[in-house]
Amino acid sequence: MQVTFDVFRKDPEPEAKPWRSNYTVELPEEATVTDGLLKIRDEVDGTLGFRASCVRGYCGECLIRVGPRNRLACTARVSDFGANGPIALNPVRIVPVLKDLVFDWDAFMWNKIKAVKPWLEPKDADGETPVSDAQMKDVRKAMSCYYCGLCDEGCTALPEDFNFLGPAALTKASRFVSDPRDKNTPARLKILEQAKGIWDCVHCFEASEHCPRHIDPTERIVAMRDLAFKTGITNEKVARHHTSFAASVKESGWVDEGRLAVESEGLTNIPGLIRLLPTAIKATIRGKAPLPYMHPKRPGADRIKRIFEKGEQKTR
Amino acid sequence: MKFALYSGCVSKGGCPELYPAAVKVADRLGIELEELTDVGCNGAGVLPQYISDPINARTFAKAEKLGLPIMTICSTCQGVMTQANHRLIENPAYREEINREYLAEEGLEYQGTLEIKHLLWVLFEDLGIEKLQSMIQRPLTGLRISPFYGCYLRRPPEIMMPTPETRQRSTYLDKLIPILGAEFTDIAGKGKCCGFPILQSSEENSLAMAARHTGEAKGKGADAMVTPCPLCHLNLDGNQPRAEAQAGTPIGLPILHLPQFVALALGFDPDELGLSKHIVSTRAVETKVEMLS
Repeated sequence: MQVTFDVFRKDPEPEAKPWRSNYTVELPEEATVTDGLLKIRDEVDGTLGFRASCVRGYCGECLIRVGPRNRLACTARVSDFGANGPIALNPVRIVPVLKDLVFDWDAFMWNKIKAVKPWLEPKDADGETPVSDAQMKDVRKAMSCYYCGLCDEGCTALPEDFNFLGPAALTKASRFVSDPRDKNTPARLKILEQAKGIWDCVHCFEASEHCPRHIDPTERIVAMRDLAFKTGITNEKVARHHTSFAASVKESGWVDEGRLAVESEGLTNIPGLIRLLPTAIKATIRGKAPLPYMHPKRPGADRIKRIFEKGEQKTR
Repeated sequence: MKFALYSGCVSKGGCPELYPAAVKVADRLGIELEELTDVGCNGAGVLPQYISDPINARTFAKAEKLGLPIMTICSTCQGVMTQANHRLIENPAYREEINREYLAEEGLEYQGTLEIKHLLWVLFEDLGIEKLQSMIQRPLTGLRISPFYGCYLRRPPEIMMPTPETRQRSTYLDKLIPILGAEFTDIAGKGKCCGFPILQSSEENSLAMAARHTGEAKGKGADAMVTPCPLCHLNLDGNQPRAEAQAGTPIGLPILHLPQFVALALGFDPDELGLSKHIVSTRAVETKVEMLS
């Protein structure tokens, strides 16, 4: 079959302007995008830059955008894309391009993975730390990540803030946070709780939906947040918000939104409270500002309180 | 067609216009509701699972006892409770543990049989589109509407829409817009996060998300956006002025709650729907609708 690719091109110089090249090649029905790219490079245009390594959907090296979606080029079959004209090939979003379809993996993922100290710090450096199979089950799941970057490519927060650590690096972090042999869980959590870490994730489950290995990066980030909640949140802003949220549900059964708004800023944080004023005034004028601390208890609030107390006791 | 209504906190707090609009629409459509009042906040993705799962199991046990499925009017409530329900149904040992340690002392037990549905799903799966169409009094002709689902209503897909039939849920809002006579104005960000969950931890990113999605709809010519999630509404409507200020560009896109949008097509007077409580003026939408009457 004849397939036309419409490919993003850019030279390495930072100021170089991107352009597009169209290539038409003859490919077998079962060919993949990588087959097409290899044929173009070998027979049509030796200057085309792209990445490929295992060519069997394992290493993640060939991550690009095929049409509107991010795909591993070596598993994307051209017959699935070619019906409506040329197949558009682009580098993944928001990442600096080195050349053509080759983007900067260091900036995209590796520098962030290095930032989470991706090595085990054993409790017993000299001896052995025996662990059960059950304890390692979750850890093994995270260990099966092969760094394809699809979760980062799908992430909602990264396009707004490229410095956010992102689901791939946070999944790597969770692999050590949940490893029973590691001695540094509190220190790790403290680093992960800083800006650009676990609390910057919007937990929209895009990462889990994009993960080809079903590692559920979003669930892993949520589990680390739950652990931080249990051991005491160290991110000051988040701590104020979560403490207030939990306190009002514990006391009344549901959320006192007025109290939450005020306490999240901090009762002694005068500039923060003043900053809230324009929104609060607008909401009050429109009759939709819940008054703080005027919050009736729900029927059965005492039962909710009891669940809180038991839950807190159980996890202590 | 009767449901146990789980109102959520926001429909009576930060978005007090939502609850009455939802109740009116349900009543008009013949969806009978029995409100669950003696239940707690589901955690909204803020409370850790070790606290929210028992609270939710208690809510589910109460609805199960009534013999009614739950109806929600909030994508976040729907997502958080569906995920909790999934854990409790898939793992009977976990459910038993919660029953034993948390619910037994109140004489409750969750058996794992409950169904939880957002109003949007109820319109398609229980009421039926033909019935809804037959009740339209005022097709919203000429009104250009963009959908905004809220992340929790569609993800994780294997939990929120586990069967080939329920997979249709990913496009219900897209379909509803032309069904009510309005013009569907698609946006790329309709399934993305509105930014609300990180308003505390990362306000700049949160407001950038609100500006991105409302700006996209406005740029494509939408008159308004409709959302089934009041938390999205808080960020997209309530924080739109701040998002505009940060982005340095005016947007001015009215955001309708799902029940308000349905109610306009059912012939309700805009004045009955609490639109005056919105932060971004809905006047232009109301004018267009009134001209249809």
